[in-house]
Order: sequence, then C-alpha cells, then structure tokens
Amino acid sequence: MPTSADTPQRFDPLAAILALAFPGAGHWFLGERKRAVLIAAGVLGLFFSGLLVGGIDVVDSKEDRWWFVGQALVGPVAFATDYVHQNRIKGIDPRTGVLRSANPDETRDGSGRLAPALGGQRPPATKSLGKMNELGTLFACIAGMMNLIVALDAAFPGRREERA
Amino acid sequence: MTGSMLSALAWRPFLDPIDAHGWWFLLVVPMSFGIAVVYRAVRMERLEGYWKRVLTLTAQIVISMILLGIASYVFVQVVVPALAPMPD
Repeated sequence: MPTSADTPQRFDPLAAILALAFPGAGHWFLGERKRAVLIAAGVLGLFFSGLLVGGIDVVDSKEDRWWFVGQALVGPVAFATDYVHQNRIKGIDPRTGVLRSANPDETRDGSGRLAPALGGQRPPATKSLGKMNELGTLFACIAGMMNLIVALDAAFPGRREERA
Repeated sequence: MTGSMLSALAWRPFLDPIDAHGWWFLLVVPMSFGIAVVYRAVRMERLEGYWKRVLTLTAQIVISMILLGIASYVFVQVVVPALAPMPD
C-alpha cells in the first residue's frame, strides 16, 4: 500500500508566482476558489489594516527597508503603496534636496517640494509615531509573511494535511 | 469641541494614523484574527467548520500573547531583581 512518503510531491511554480503576484491568485489558479477568496481577504485585510492603523507611512522602502522586505511579499500591492508614498506623499526638502516626509507645519506643492503650510493646508500624510507606527508596520509585515506561507502552499498543493 | 474631536474629524483614512494610543493592545485581536483566517485557509484540507476553527485559533493566539506578557512582566519585575538586586 503506498504511503504519503512514497507519493511524488506535486510542484506547481506558476501557482506560487501567481500567489506572490496577488494574494489568493495561486489557489484560484489551482481551482480552489473559496480558499483563494479567504486567503485574499486575510492577507489584504492584514495589509490594509496596517495602513489604516499607522497610515501610509508604515510602508516605506527607504526608511524602513527591512520591514519593507517582509511587506513586499504581499506582492505588487505593496510596491504600488510604496510608490505612492515615495512619489505622491513625500516631498523634496528645499534646503537639502533630500526626499522626506512633510513635517506637521509643511505641505507639498505641485512640483513635489515641501513648503510651509499656509492657513488650512496640511501635510499630504501624517507621519506615524510610537505604537501606531510599530503596529501598522507589523500588520503589513505579517501580511507579507502569511502570503509567503500561501505561496509555498500553492507551490506544493499536495502537502496540505488535516490537523486537529 | 475638544481637541480629540477636532483631530478625529480631520482624520484621513490610510494617510493619518489612528488615535489608538490608549487602547493599542486591543489591536492584537484583529491581528490574530487575520493570521487565523489565512493560516486556517491554508492548513485545512476541507473548509468544513472553518470559521469555528478560525475563532479558536484567534483565541489561542490572544491568550498566548497575554500569558507571554504576564511571563515577561514577572521575569522583569520579580526574577531579575531577585537575581541581581539593585544597590541602594
């Protein structure tokens, strides 16, 4: 009688790539539609909960590089968020020419440079500090790490087993 | 109108952080729930009884975090001072 150890492992690299391209897409490709929806809801729910808790500041490939490595495992969604943060939210410091987040008394002009805020103007986003930044960053990073587990499961679909 | 009310009115979702500095520790619940949703979706062969298993895992994670917090508190506040008392 063949045992699970004798069964050749099924390997599906395309499903893994799809899973990393968009959470749940790998399982959708494998025909497991309900599982795919649950995975997408869970991974994207964690990622966007992080953004909700800490603001867009929690996804920052320049200032929080190692956290972003984990967050990047969510896929293009994380890279798109970081692109918006770097190019639409941050501004160029007029004195140093360095790209940075706006201070509370600054705003971003049409050319992307930071300028003193006039009456009623606000920075494009508020930099999160303390626990809100830590938790938001952690939410988004956990989303990426969970998606890595999802991609591995999509790559080796035969390895799943029921556990009590 | 208080400052916190003004702050809440001006809050921009996904751009500004939420003001949860007084109850940040409760965020472990949605975090655990999200982890459980994904982990159970991956691990279960069949998705029968899925949500019950998700809630069970969520509770297990939250309770484990509370116990780890208590253990850390006891270690820092009781064990370490007992092993290496601070000089008067």
